[in-house]
Amino acid sequence: MNGFFWVSGHLGWGIFAVGAFTGLWVLLADLCWRFWIVRISRLATAMSVGWIIGVGLIALFFT
Amino acid sequence: MILAVQIVVLCLIAVAVLLCGICFPYPSPLIRRWLPPRKRWPEMQIRGWLKDGKFQRAFLKHFYSDPERVAPPGDSMLAPADGLVTSADARGGVRYLVIALSFWDMHVQRSPVAGRVIGVESHGDGFMDGEGREFAFLREKTCPVQKRLAIATEDGPVAVRLITSVAARRIEAWVKAGDKVARGQRIGRILLGSTVVLELPESARLLVHSGERVWAGETAVAERPIAP
Repeated sequence: MNGFFWVSGHLGWGIFAVGAFTGLWVLLADLCWRFWIVRISRLATAMSVGWIIGVGLIALFFT
Repeated sequence: MILAVQIVVLCLIAVAVLLCGICFPYPSPLIRRWLPPRKRWPEMQIRGWLKDGKFQRAFLKHFYSDPERVAPPGDSMLAPADGLVTSADARGGVRYLVIALSFWDMHVQRSPVAGRVIGVESHGDGFMDGEGREFAFLREKTCPVQKRLAIATEDGPVAVRLITSVAARRIEAWVKAGDKVARGQRIGRILLGSTVVLELPESARLLVHSGERVWAGETAVAERPIAP
């Protein structure tokens, strides 16, 4: 787990991936909201579930 | 080195997210250019600009665009404006084809037929918000500010009425009485979203229906009337 946050003088690839994924996921949510007519609560739920799954996969891959 | 690259990448993403948050609910400048006009400049944002009198330069550039149009072959009557056909009722031997323009439509109007301009008249004294479409038949007082361009053709007179709204307070007519106009030629412009009414003889066969989208100088809206 130590390598997840910090490794050999730079950010661990795990935490870096979580950071980048979270930012890109927010931008994707904004695009989805603009292009599709969806209820905000439904979009928020879908994006939250997607984010949890994404972070989970990253955690599995990098630990 | 790796740390620097990581920090730069994360900072770029953070800036993109920050811009997105600052501009919300309007699109961030990073994605704006790839969005269709309606999404790029939501109506609420345009109405805000109308109040302040300040517009985004990119929107004005889009709004003042005047693309070339190629008239279809034949002698059918063309749509005088870009927009949505909202009604095509007939009264007193005249059919009124009402085209509603939005903020995102091209605002240059084109002649539906070839002929000679017989009059450019100004009417009305009110600025209305969309209701202009319901007042399309009125030509006298209490109707929206409008210009009526009458064109004499071989099959009788045809007229194009450019109607303003609360947002559109200026109409430019680019032709005057006596001018010859070609089919699809530019005849004027209404500044910001409003209504254009094409008055044509009732005997002309319509090619479009209410709810259809039309393009100025490109969409055939009616066949020429059958001679009596």
